[in-house]
Amino acid sequence: MNDLKFAFRQLRNSPGFSVLAIVTLAIGIGLNTAIFSLINDLFLRGLPFKEPSRVVHLFEGDKSRDLVDIGVSAPRYEHFRDGQTLFDGFAGENFFLFTLTGLGDPVQVFGGRVTSSYFDVLSVRPILGRNFLPQEQEGADVAVVTKNFWQKRLGGDPNVIGRSIALDGTAHTIVGILPNMPATWFGANPIAEVWTTKPFQIPGFTYERMMRGTSFLRVVGRLKPNVTLKQVKAALPSLDQSYRTQYPNKIDSSLVTTAKTLPEDVTENFRAGFITLFAAVTFVLLIACSNVANLLLVRFSGRRREIALRMAIGASRAGIVRLFVFESLLVSVIAGGVGAFVAWRLVPLVPRMASNFLPLEANTASSLSLPVLLFTIGLSILTGLLMGLYPAMQASRADLVDGLKEGGRGTSGSIRQQRFRKILVCAQVALSVTLLAGAALLITSFMRLSQQNLGFRSQHLWTGAITLPTAQYPDTASRQRFVEQLLNALHDVPGIQNATVSGDTPLNGGNQTLYARGDRDLPPLEQRANAPSHDAAPDFFKTWRIPILAGREFNEHDTADSQRVVLISQTGAKKVFPGENPIGKTLLVTSAATPCEIVGIVGDIRSQRIKQEPGMEFYLPWSQDNFPFVNVAVLSPLKTEAVTKLVQSALSKVNPGLAIAIPQSMDAIVAQALGQARLMMILLGLFAGVALLLAAVGIYGAVAYSVAQRTGEIGVRIALGAQAADVLRLILIQGLMPVVIGLGIGITVALALGRLLRTQLYQVSPHNPALLLTTAIVLGLVALSACLFPARRATQVDPIQALRTE
Amino acid sequence: MIKLRRLERRYPLGKEKFFYVLRDINLDIEEGEFVSVMGPSGAGKSTLLHILGMHDSGWAGEYFLAETAVHHLKPKERATLRNEQIGFVFQQYHLLDDLTVYENLDIPLSYRRYSKGERAALVADMLDRFQIVGKKDLYPSQLSGGQQQLVGVARAIIAEPKLLLADEPTGNLHSSQGEEIMELFRKLNDEGMTIVQVTHSEKNASYGKRIIQLRDGWLVRENR
Repeated sequence: MNDLKFAFRQLRNSPGFSVLAIVTLAIGIGLNTAIFSLINDLFLRGLPFKEPSRVVHLFEGDKSRDLVDIGVSAPRYEHFRDGQTLFDGFAGENFFLFTLTGLGDPVQVFGGRVTSSYFDVLSVRPILGRNFLPQEQEGADVAVVTKNFWQKRLGGDPNVIGRSIALDGTAHTIVGILPNMPATWFGANPIAEVWTTKPFQIPGFTYERMMRGTSFLRVVGRLKPNVTLKQVKAALPSLDQSYRTQYPNKIDSSLVTTAKTLPEDVTENFRAGFITLFAAVTFVLLIACSNVANLLLVRFSGRRREIALRMAIGASRAGIVRLFVFESLLVSVIAGGVGAFVAWRLVPLVPRMASNFLPLEANTASSLSLPVLLFTIGLSILTGLLMGLYPAMQASRADLVDGLKEGGRGTSGSIRQQRFRKILVCAQVALSVTLLAGAALLITSFMRLSQQNLGFRSQHLWTGAITLPTAQYPDTASRQRFVEQLLNALHDVPGIQNATVSGDTPLNGGNQTLYARGDRDLPPLEQRANAPSHDAAPDFFKTWRIPILAGREFNEHDTADSQRVVLISQTGAKKVFPGENPIGKTLLVTSAATPCEIVGIVGDIRSQRIKQEPGMEFYLPWSQDNFPFVNVAVLSPLKTEAVTKLVQSALSKVNPGLAIAIPQSMDAIVAQALGQARLMMILLGLFAGVALLLAAVGIYGAVAYSVAQRTGEIGVRIALGAQAADVLRLILIQGLMPVVIGLGIGITVALALGRLLRTQLYQVSPHNPALLLTTAIVLGLVALSACLFPARRATQVDPIQALRTE
Repeated sequence: MIKLRRLERRYPLGKEKFFYVLRDINLDIEEGEFVSVMGPSGAGKSTLLHILGMHDSGWAGEYFLAETAVHHLKPKERATLRNEQIGFVFQQYHLLDDLTVYENLDIPLSYRRYSKGERAALVADMLDRFQIVGKKDLYPSQLSGGQQQLVGVARAIIAEPKLLLADEPTGNLHSSQGEEIMELFRKLNDEGMTIVQVTHSEKNASYGKRIIQLRDGWLVRENR
């Protein structure tokens, strides 16, 4: 207790040291707490389902056809459900956007069509009412909604069970209210609020077409107790084989099933990024620790007389070490408190920057939970021990007799301490250069990514989505009529320069559709190539400003009854028809191998991801091929909100029961597509900046202290003939030696850790020599500046004064 | 060798008030002389020595060293002149703790224009001349006071200065060690080196050919 009191007093008596040490450590601990808090929310807290690790997500894929982690078809789902023995329950969901009417203005709400077993498999218990019953899966119009939906849209009506809501124009009876589902469960998709049954109905698809093996279901299963994921993975090949044998002609018969546990599945896209960020903040903390360790070393060494006195009156070495470790711990614990406060203020900024691609809920991410606080406390204590122990042990070695003499020199101790200080500088530089190299790679990668030619122009482009109720728009012709009416209505609106619709929007999908050349033998389904296909209305290319390179665009003559036509992308033309003119040739599209005449070649676009290199893409006229999902694109110089109002008003004239979902500018979508790369760049850049600053302070501190300690020696050297340049050289060489060694180690570590970043980089090698060299030069210059100030001071040492002090 | 005219060293005490450490010093020292500067503490002995050694530049008056007007030289020119002409021996030896005897001897040469080979030869000569070859790899803390001062003197003369300045060179040594150093000085002087030493000891002063007495910054007496 006395030691603690004394430690408090010591800190109070040296406010300069205390503030510097606490601020330095608080930055390190605060950043670590902030990132740990995000990691806790994303990875550790787990989904609020019962035993989430028992829930397994099944995917399909075929690497040879570039199909990775796609959904499961209805026939495969049924085959697996009936053939497996490892799961207690099996369920599927078809993500869906409903139009909700009858509760004020029509709105679009996110949700899904699920099997009746879905919430039982997830083990989600309703707050009110019940889950779906097996007999409701195919026939009944029933719905369950979340608590949020219930309170926001139904006013928290206590008699809500049995009440009806209109979804896509059909009355659905509410049978249950569910707790709000976690954001992590939906990944990058919007949070769902409402679910209905009839999961095997895809609007716009006939039952026959759907049963050909179209992959669309998100399938989950709950493992039986004591069954492991390994056992499931071992059982999947035989299930795949039996499906292949039983259904050799399905589109998906050749696909391979993979399984992931739920926690693994919902976080895998962010895992690499967060490992990088956590490594980065750990580096920052280590740099901060070494800075404070250096300060402590100076501070403790300066108290040699006090140590000697304490020992002379009976203190043991262990007692001295304990006293100093208390001081170090006190600094780190106070810094932990400040750091927790910093994290509490920082963490809510991340969901604000990243709500579009990180499944974080603003309210949970903004509060520091118990595990996060425990982490901070543990980290503070560990930090205190880490940085305090060695300086304390060093200081406690003071020679008693020498220490009691004022001005005793204790040379050997100072040599050891000098070496320790050099090691600290070396480590700081190594950590900083590694971090800087990582940041430089991500910044370059982001710059390359943001400079990619997307193939379309996003400026002044507005997009929004409409889901057409199947009851009102049951077929291609009715949906074509709707689009004609909507485009006509938009055509007359002042402020709108161009408008079009399509089945999807660039950067946001495109159905993977089978295709084959019409002039060759038709390959079997499982060998047929696939590419993103887009249903596009007239003026699509004009509105999106995608160039027509040959042939023509769709026009009003391309009707449901006319010759089926298709446009293909430039890279697709080169890939599928190398050295030939594809115009006039036939492309067989979809599993039904519908013949379409190629009437034009258009510029390449990035239809799915900015990172994806352009490939084969094809476009079908909306009039000949469409689904009830309409994406409207409008070219207008007006603001997004103004365009939304204009489009909603035009839509109301066509059908007052429809609503616009996700209205936004295309610029915002592009920014969102770059969001994760941008966030990583900003965060790592910030951490690298902090690391650089701390390292500069550390190097400056170490060199300045060394100069102060060596004033006498410098005075002797000047007296013996050293000139300013000699002193400058001496201090710079000695100050920069550990920097050079640290740079070497750091660059080696950066090369070794580069693979960690590989998945997050675009068109940049993690071993890019120019970037690594630039990083080393930047850090070298910063280190040189940090050494230069104390070195210049050393040249101004007055030899007489120095010799007298000596 | 040395000519001082109206030399003065003062420190400001307040508004237009000064504390004088040296006042109106006029002194001539011929080449090959061995001069001892004596006087009570605070008389200005060490200050005079540091001015002669060009460690101090805040003085007024005229100082000629080997016909060169030091008072007209720029700092860099003074440093060059000092490196060519002067060696310095300190009371506390001021050997560098982290360097061996060999390395300590090499330091003054490293600040002058000697090639690596010349430096090695000069250090070897000096180790031989002072009979400390066996101690060349030892650190100062491993030497006795007398041995440290021996190295200090060797270091002061290794660059072959014409003038050796010594600030109480035996102040930290016991009498037999002190005598050894003074004998060494006499020998160096006999070989032609000009020596100016500050000392409190009459005995040590007697090794010189002339004694200068300072008191309160004034040159009060010269004994030949």
